[in-house]
Amino acid sequence: MRKVAGIDVGSAVTKAVVVSDAEGAAVVVGRGSVRTGVDLEKAAADALAAALADAGWQRGSVDYIATTGFGRSSVSFRDLQVTEITSGARGARRLFPSATAVLDIGSQCTRAITLAENGKVRGFKTNDKCAAGSGSFIVRAAKYLQIELGDVGEIALRAENPQPISSICAVLAESEIINHVSAGVSVEDILSGIYDSLAERASMLLKRAGMGQELVLIGGVARQKGMVRALENRLKVPVSVPADCEYVCALGAALLGLKRLETQLSAASCQS
Amino acid sequence: MGMRFAAGVDVGSTQTKAVIMEDNGGGGPRLVARALVDTGANVQKAAEHGFLAACREAGIPAQEVGFVVGTGYGRYKITFGNTQMTEITCHARGAVFLCPGTRTVIDMGGQDSKAISIGAKGEVLDFVMNDKCAAGTGRFLANAADVMGVSLDEVGPLSLQGKQPVKITTVCTVFVESDILSYLAQGKKAEDILNGVHMAIARRTVSLARRVPIEPQIALTGGVARNIGMVRALEQVLGATLQVSAEAHFTGAIGAALFALEKMDQSFESAIWRPAHA
Repeated sequence: MRKVAGIDVGSAVTKAVVVSDAEGAAVVVGRGSVRTGVDLEKAAADALAAALADAGWQRGSVDYIATTGFGRSSVSFRDLQVTEITSGARGARRLFPSATAVLDIGSQCTRAITLAENGKVRGFKTNDKCAAGSGSFIVRAAKYLQIELGDVGEIALRAENPQPISSICAVLAESEIINHVSAGVSVEDILSGIYDSLAERASMLLKRAGMGQELVLIGGVARQKGMVRALENRLKVPVSVPADCEYVCALGAALLGLKRLETQLSAASCQS
Repeated sequence: MGMRFAAGVDVGSTQTKAVIMEDNGGGGPRLVARALVDTGANVQKAAEHGFLAACREAGIPAQEVGFVVGTGYGRYKITFGNTQMTEITCHARGAVFLCPGTRTVIDMGGQDSKAISIGAKGEVLDFVMNDKCAAGTGRFLANAADVMGVSLDEVGPLSLQGKQPVKITTVCTVFVESDILSYLAQGKKAEDILNGVHMAIARRTVSLARRVPIEPQIALTGGVARNIGMVRALEQVLGATLQVSAEAHFTGAIGAALFALEKMDQSFESAIWRPAHA
């Protein structure tokens, strides 16, 4: 039995999964996450420790560690690093085998990935220049509106008359939000407008990447139902969301790590 | 007898600036009073408050102001006043008044930045504007100051003390926030971080401004002109000296008031504004 870990060091949250192939196929046996903070190595170690504890495994019991995410190269104890494009595609395809496109909305970056039939990455577009259309937009809005981040998605679903947000910039949009508040617009309508603006940005990325018919939404923002609905309204296709949407890149990294480990082991056994 | 006083009200996204100017014949137009109020959410009220505060400062009743020109993004929400003009026109006029010979204006406001190219006679030749993102605006600097835990007035002077500026590769306000946090965690000095931040924004603003031909002499206007760190960073990137008037913050309002003085001369119409909250 092989034990492999995938750690996704994101800009806001670090996610880790541990995977075992005990029953012939890779199965996730534990997951854990911590806020990334500024010490990326520590965040990776803490997330891994949480995932190991969740699995009931001992510290140091994994055979192979693959990292992904923006902080992937800052983790000294890694065996392999893969980009979040590769890991996101791999993880999403494992969960939805016929996916043609993956939209990953993280805290600071939104990525649209299109997949070839064999599941390989065919193309991608990202908005890495600025925070427009990323999860931090929602985090800031929630802070302003004094709403728990976990409630934002549900509240937006109750909107009756969504108010558009015209600013692209996450920071300038704050003033628009304030103006809506003082004009007496309901929080539901404001939040719904914010999701719509995010969905617009995301669909532009997807269209440039060429999306196909089966879209999987991953990343922390995928947990928010308001976002899912806004995307479906705009794209006119159903959007699939995996149950552990924030762990998809970590899962993808672990699966790629497992494959690499097997290749190494079989190469070693051929030589002996 | 005719009226002597005219007003310009520049309703910006963040602050509203109002000035009273007077034309005392041969001496030319003179700045009599200025007022600065936060715009907030009620744009209409901010315009009125700004205008009335400037009247108080001038020691004259509002009725003695013969003509009011509104400018800035909120100009159409001004319920009093005689007419509105774009902030491009007003900034150009104000900059030439404050710094005669100005051919390029770089204006850094609360939520947008722009560059205006001006002809030899003071006419607007061309302009570019960034109102899509907070980079190069006062909002950006306010955010950076917040994250650093220093006041907005301190960031400029502090940045000048930086000897080894940190590398800032993005100008997104949100991303710079996390850059700053990680540099702080690495133990970098506040002045080096701020120096890097000012340089990044200066590079970005100059590349915007280069889209209109930058001709000397160059005036910096808007609230950000009060930030000495930004003035020096821009000068370094431009390789040129900037003209910064002590009244740079009021450039748009001054331009509007100058137009108001002219229009007052042209018409015998008396004041038609009626501030509701007077």
